[in-house]
Amino acid sequence: MWLFDWVFNVLANLGASAGSAKILFLGLDNAGKTTLLHMLKENRVQIHQPTLHPNQDELIIGNIRFKTFDLGGHETARRLWKDYFTTVDGVVYMVDALDRGRFPEAKRELDYLLTCDELAAVPFLVLGNKIDAHSAASEDDLRYALGLFETFGKDTARRNNDDDNKIRPIELFMCSVIRKMGYADGFRWLAQFF
Amino acid sequence: MDISSIQAQEERDGVRLSWNVWPSSRLEATRIVIPIGALYTPLKPIGNPPPLIYDPIRCNGCGALLNPYCQVDYRTKLWTCPFCLGRNHFPPHYAENITETNLPAELIPQFTTVEYELQARGAGPPVFLFVLDTCLPESELDSLKDSIQQTLNLLPENALVGLITFGAHVLVHEIGFGECHKSVAFRGAKDYTTQRVQELLNVSGAARGGQGAAQPQGQQQQAAGGREPAIGRYLMTVGDCSFTVESILEDLQKDPWPVPGDQRSARCTGAALAVAVGLLEASAPRQGARVMLFVGGPSTVGPGMVVDKARSEDMRSHQDIVKGNCPHLKAATKFYGGLADRASANGHVVDCFACSLDQVGLHEMRTLIDKTGGVSILGDSFTQSVFKESLRRVFRRHAADAPGPNAGALVMGFGATLEIITSREFKIAGAIGPCASLKKGKSPYVADTEIGQGGTNAWTIGGIDPTTTVAVYFEITNAGNQPMPAHKRRYAQFITQYQHANGRYRLRSTTLCGAWQPDPNDSAPVARSFDQEAAAVLMARVAVHRTETEEVPDILRWVDRSLIRLCAKFADYRKDDPSSFRLPHEFAVYPQFVFNLRRSQFLQLFNSSPDEASYYRMVLTRENASNSLVMIQPTLMSYSFQAPPQPAMLDASSVRPDVILLLDTFFYVIVFHGETIAAWRDQGYQDHEEHVHFKNLLHQPLEDANAIMDARFPVPRYIIADQHKSEARFLICKLNPSVTHNSTDIHAGQVIPTDDVSLKVFMEHLMKLSVES
Repeated sequence: MWLFDWVFNVLANLGASAGSAKILFLGLDNAGKTTLLHMLKENRVQIHQPTLHPNQDELIIGNIRFKTFDLGGHETARRLWKDYFTTVDGVVYMVDALDRGRFPEAKRELDYLLTCDELAAVPFLVLGNKIDAHSAASEDDLRYALGLFETFGKDTARRNNDDDNKIRPIELFMCSVIRKMGYADGFRWLAQFF
Repeated sequence: MDISSIQAQEERDGVRLSWNVWPSSRLEATRIVIPIGALYTPLKPIGNPPPLIYDPIRCNGCGALLNPYCQVDYRTKLWTCPFCLGRNHFPPHYAENITETNLPAELIPQFTTVEYELQARGAGPPVFLFVLDTCLPESELDSLKDSIQQTLNLLPENALVGLITFGAHVLVHEIGFGECHKSVAFRGAKDYTTQRVQELLNVSGAARGGQGAAQPQGQQQQAAGGREPAIGRYLMTVGDCSFTVESILEDLQKDPWPVPGDQRSARCTGAALAVAVGLLEASAPRQGARVMLFVGGPSTVGPGMVVDKARSEDMRSHQDIVKGNCPHLKAATKFYGGLADRASANGHVVDCFACSLDQVGLHEMRTLIDKTGGVSILGDSFTQSVFKESLRRVFRRHAADAPGPNAGALVMGFGATLEIITSREFKIAGAIGPCASLKKGKSPYVADTEIGQGGTNAWTIGGIDPTTTVAVYFEITNAGNQPMPAHKRRYAQFITQYQHANGRYRLRSTTLCGAWQPDPNDSAPVARSFDQEAAAVLMARVAVHRTETEEVPDILRWVDRSLIRLCAKFADYRKDDPSSFRLPHEFAVYPQFVFNLRRSQFLQLFNSSPDEASYYRMVLTRENASNSLVMIQPTLMSYSFQAPPQPAMLDASSVRPDVILLLDTFFYVIVFHGETIAAWRDQGYQDHEEHVHFKNLLHQPLEDANAIMDARFPVPRYIIADQHKSEARFLICKLNPSVTHNSTDIHAGQVIPTDDVSLKVFMEHLMKLSVES
């Protein structure tokens, strides 16, 4: 599966400089965080019951270790998010592009994260998931709903440009975890910040 | 053996066996794949008369209790023990009265299970020591305090209570001191021995028998050691101290120790438990007592800490455990294990009510709860009914009009031990359940092979309730050189002693008698006696027990191989022809149980923390057969206008827009509304008089869900969800994925996004592998 190998290679690059990169998977319940993590780990789609406790996992490729933290997304579990902000290297924020009714809620939580002091310097990869369904929101719709008009740019070749360091690293990518589409681009983008 | 006689045996004796007719030699027994075992529920309510108010008669030779399978010679007043074949004289008061028509209860044929209330001195009233975490958010602490206050009203009047609170330090409250709040502080970073606890609390280590004996003994101790008894100071009868305890609780504040943003609360759960166990050792040895721990986060200081205070250190994960990458795990597990031995030696129980969004270290504390027969609750919050109602149910009582001394008494029992004796042709390989080996060592009843806790025929159970169930595994040791005589029977006797909540000692004896299959060439009677439900539970317990020492993929392979071997032995087929494969009906559902067991939270660790996995496994290994089966394979009910409520297949095809489903997984209960139903409901059809049928349709599953939840401990989580919504996953993830995102016919039912194999594919593989020569 070339795409999958590629994702792993990207993740391998993520921690190359830091030794071990700590990534939080955040987002509302049913966005697909656990499914994505399972896909990255096992390269298989699996359905899970809503996450209760935060789950720490490791993706080991070659001699590099990655720590991922998959946190529950339902309302009460979100209270716990802030406990995991110390020493974070990146945030993957997932949004269910099918569930338009909850876009305002997803925006509220994203805004909360973006205004947190602890996360001020942390790159945010926003993933709009479930675009395999025809009724899913388009990228433009989702940008509008989340207020992500101006973002960093999907370009990945700019890491050495000093001017860009002043811009908050946040970008939106559309994906379908169950069709193995899109998230690889997102991770390639995220990789440039490590 | 048909289902009704299996059920009758369970009703009468609280026993389910994987096989009810046993092969008569060791060799034959290895060929039936599934271990010969029993699920025994020692306190199962049975319809018998009230307990016998006298002591049982024991065989002089082997100690077996007099039972209906004993041969009685009415002329010579002798009875023959079926286990050792020894002849015993009846004691005079039996011998004078006994005739064929006038039998003592324990000899009446249908009373194979009887309970005695022993005539020895009682142990005194139960003790409840509440141990409260104060490092909680205000709302959590308030709700917890509220629950504890309500609990005081549920206790019997003569019960003793004590109160310990902890955060960075441990406070033992002197509730006997009415004038103001007084407490003794212990440092959270230290481990305290019993002696040190006694010294610091200035209490004597007086053994206290019945209540009457307390006074003079206490005075003697006081004279000798200059110390006072703990009872009256740190432990008081609930009637005398409820006012003081309530006022302490009212004034109880969040732990004042400052917590910087990059740190966890300083919480010394380990030290608090050590002090609690030490206090009970000193004040209530060999007396029924519960340490009830209420905790809302991980232990971060002192003995038994599971994670560092600094948030830069992460809580251990499954990977860390596999790799041995957890700095505190070994020390913590050893520490709680040591406490477990101390507590269970005194018949004390440790319960853990863990309510937190994150892990609290239940994984490390598991031995402490398991070995002492405690109960555990894993919840999100102290405000939820999962916690509040479960706590209330710990203090359930027998009906006030129950016969005899049970009336109105608490249902819980303490300090239970189980001993099993067997007839000569088979021995005990071990037990799996909430029990600890009493290490009886070599005896005529103990087999060489071990399954679970082996090398013994006796175990402590500690705290016990009517669903506590121990799985016992047997080994047939008969070499089979000579055929067994056709009339030969096998016998096993289960002897359970425990302290009833009323303070008296009880003994329950269950004697089983069963058949052998003497002809090694004919396995049909053995096959017909297969109890697939009991077998699934017994196998699940072995699998879960092995997770403590082995890695999950190895266990899954063993589960698979066992299933294939079982099918190869008992199915009808032509070699190398999968299409000819047929399973006899005694085995028909078993592969499906295994399919669901493989997929269950007991053997799948992804998306589950070590605390969750430990919790689920702990509950599975203590529940009775029917509850365990629900955990392995949830039950699904379907409600629609087309048909009356009926059980539905646990399958994607059961999900339709116009049905309501009720799924029970033991740990949670979910009412699921199909799309159309949800739309009608949102439009308020149920409020119109002409749609009263719809109203009833909506109502029925809710009523059934309540019935399930009312009867269960721990109280399950309750979820109501609509199709395609987030919480619908609680249902969808349990269904057989017969329709997936890769299916061509997506109208056959709910699309389940998964690459997991469906039951159909699983069965096809099973058939292919079973018929392979």
